[in-house]
Amino acid sequence: MNRTLRALVATAALALTTTACNANSPQESSSSGFHKGGTLTIYSSADEQSFDPAKSQSLAITSQGLVHRRLTTWDIRPGQEPRVVPDLATDTGRASDGGRTWTYTLKPGLKFSDGSPITSADIKYGLERSFAPELSGGLGYHKTLLVGGDKYTGPYDGKELSSVETPDDRTIVFKLGTAYGDWPWIASMPAFAPVPKSADTKPATYGNDPVASGPYEVKSSKPGTAVTLVRNPEWSRETDEIRTGGPDTVVFKLSQEDTVAAQQLIADSGDAKNAFGAGFVPPAQLKQITSNPGAKARLALSKPGALQYLALNNRRPGLKDVRVRRAIEYAVDKRAFQLATGGSQGGEIASTLITPGIPGRQDYDLYPADETGDVAKAKSLLAAAGAENLQLTLVTANDTGSVAKAEAIQQGLQRAGITVKIEPKDVNVYYDAITDDKGDYDLTVGSWQPDFPSANGNISPLFASNQIGGGNFNLSRYSVPQVDALIARATGEVDPSVAQRTWAQADRRIMQDAPVVPLLYARNAFLRGSGVQNFDVSGFPNYPNYLRVSISK
Amino acid sequence: MTGASYVVKRLVAAVLVLLTIAALTFLVFHLLPNDVSQASCGKPCTAERREVVRHFLGYDQPVLVQLGEFLRGIVAGRSYGTAAATVHCSAPCFGYSFRLNEPVTSLIGERFGITASIALGAAVIWSVVGVGTGVLAALRRGTWVDRVAMGSTVVGVSTPTYLVGLVGIYVFGFKLNVLPVGTFVPFREDPVGWAWHLVLPWVVLAVASAAVYTRMTRSQMLDVLEENYVRTARAKGLSERQVVLRHALRNALLPVVTLFGLDLGGLLGGAVITEKIFSMQGVGALLVDSVGNLDLPVVLGVTLFSAFLIVLANLVVDLAYSRLDPRVSRSG
Repeated sequence: MNRTLRALVATAALALTTTACNANSPQESSSSGFHKGGTLTIYSSADEQSFDPAKSQSLAITSQGLVHRRLTTWDIRPGQEPRVVPDLATDTGRASDGGRTWTYTLKPGLKFSDGSPITSADIKYGLERSFAPELSGGLGYHKTLLVGGDKYTGPYDGKELSSVETPDDRTIVFKLGTAYGDWPWIASMPAFAPVPKSADTKPATYGNDPVASGPYEVKSSKPGTAVTLVRNPEWSRETDEIRTGGPDTVVFKLSQEDTVAAQQLIADSGDAKNAFGAGFVPPAQLKQITSNPGAKARLALSKPGALQYLALNNRRPGLKDVRVRRAIEYAVDKRAFQLATGGSQGGEIASTLITPGIPGRQDYDLYPADETGDVAKAKSLLAAAGAENLQLTLVTANDTGSVAKAEAIQQGLQRAGITVKIEPKDVNVYYDAITDDKGDYDLTVGSWQPDFPSANGNISPLFASNQIGGGNFNLSRYSVPQVDALIARATGEVDPSVAQRTWAQADRRIMQDAPVVPLLYARNAFLRGSGVQNFDVSGFPNYPNYLRVSISK
Repeated sequence: MTGASYVVKRLVAAVLVLLTIAALTFLVFHLLPNDVSQASCGKPCTAERREVVRHFLGYDQPVLVQLGEFLRGIVAGRSYGTAAATVHCSAPCFGYSFRLNEPVTSLIGERFGITASIALGAAVIWSVVGVGTGVLAALRRGTWVDRVAMGSTVVGVSTPTYLVGLVGIYVFGFKLNVLPVGTFVPFREDPVGWAWHLVLPWVVLAVASAAVYTRMTRSQMLDVLEENYVRTARAKGLSERQVVLRHALRNALLPVVTLFGLDLGGLLGGAVITEKIFSMQGVGALLVDSVGNLDLPVVLGVTLFSAFLIVLANLVVDLAYSRLDPRVSRSG
């Protein structure tokens, strides 16, 4: 065995060991199934945890899903593609009128935690609440899709949203303004949880003590301190194929400093033994964990996920020419950016727009180059475009990590003769600056994790013309009618496989125009205590699936 | 000037200071180049919906009108929202947080117990340790005791609280595992647990202040010990203990007490860094989180509350001083 081969074998063996040590490896229960019982503690840096479905941006598999069921939900399991599955409904929705009308039937025998039956009127009312300005702040994709949704301001002044019909207690029909093939995913969002009108007497504080439809109900809620969930006696596993309802009690410990929480989990004593951190492990502690075998075995490092990209503001004079943008595709040093993000633990080099793990994604590279870039090619493209001495501004948040990433971009582009001036801003100011109508910047580094596992969630918010400014996230201010038409076609497609092919086509078409440089597919790292089982972050959305976690005996 | 009119004058000045702070906070918040309604609008958000949210929050009104509404709410209370969704915030209403769904007054009320627990315990430690060490160093001037004490104060003053905090957590919380970290136990639930969970934050917060108090007490004591009346007291044959405690220390402590009042007032308004490091949700941590979330009512309420405590501490110190030294009120 020669030296190189030996090194390769050693690396492969190490990789295998690492994988085996990794908590990602599914610990899917023994033959007896998930262990029931115990108290699960979740450390959260947030100072509040409201269970008001109207105000929530929570993913279907995290906190809200423990208390509220929705019409549909996500089936996220180790090694499988994410699927949309029925939750309160009997199926994921039946489309008619070319994808403009969606009809759902509720499963029979569903009950709220107070024993009353869950009806279609409760879902309609829950959805209507989300339009009220008092309760805004949640995921609101449905608001622009439902007919009349743009003008509706909630049920508190006695008005109903007529595009949501409830012909009987178990049927609910949604009328959309345009065909929307991903409606089954939209119906999995928090606002599609049922809320009985009779229980909504104090809307502002409903989230502290909501009527539950999921396996848990809120026992106590103290903002800034803790929220405790206990079993909902009316929840039945028989109607719920997704939630396992493992622990008897779930405690969210709020306002936890991430570093201290991670340190407690590393120490693995007291309640930390049966706990996990809701936030990413701070990079400084990743090193400490990887050098501690006990802690390393409890580290869950996700697969590559959320897209980090360099947005090139297509409306700026210096970046209007596609040859300049293509030059930047080659000039960027993606490896330097990866190092600034924490090396391979921070993420994997990217070349396309759709997040790994999302069905239908295709891998390709329109600008093949070494990971450090192809400076010669960049220079020749710039020369062809007559763009010598290009000077660009890059706005970024002013935290150390963001500035380090910006500097990696700056140094990469400098090699091709592009001067980048970095403008760090306070984080709120930064978000406003990149999403406002003015768009006063040339470059910025964006990060995007879709809100639902469809390529639609990647492509539309970042590249549709109607997502420019106004607080939206088309940060490259990219506007191409053919792409808009392609997005509309894919959006309206009801057949998932046809839609997926169209999205993949859109991905490639957009990259031809080089409005952004895909940099990394970021990894997330989470830590759990030794008593936590079935803790998996192996696929989309790279967050732990709270609904399947249990505590060992 | 009589004592009563002096108090009235100071109270009027205090109210004016608070009004100015309220106006400035409002102004600064509105001058920030970010859109408050954006954070409350949800995702995705359309321009029309953002307008609805902005209107609901009252941020579409001119700043002065908003300030007027706010001040009126303090006196008369106010309501937010419409119909069934109305939330009422009774007087004195310092605003309502839609993020946390509580009136700012009750938020501060809930959190103040934590801040007060941290601040008062730390104050006891730093004043006892600081004054004690300062007196000892002054009495043993030039000896090794003095040198060690002064050397330690340099370290104490120059080490940032967050560093002391993180090192403390690491060493005592995790490495030696002798002190609890990251939990607050209310006093009324378990007094012993309350104190035990607070030992580390108290010590961390006291480190820097104790150093300052040591240095100040030492230099004051050295000055006072040189004074004629101390010499007279010694000449009269009083014991060294009586000279130090009754004559020297009493006078040396006057400026130290002034500083203590202001420090404690400031700290009660929120021990920001300590609270964040120890994951204790006091008033300081509430302020930090609210700034990050653009929660103007809470930012405004906590700022005013902190300012009120400092103004109050100032007032108490000044009044105490005027009692101790009548020249203050006569000249003031």
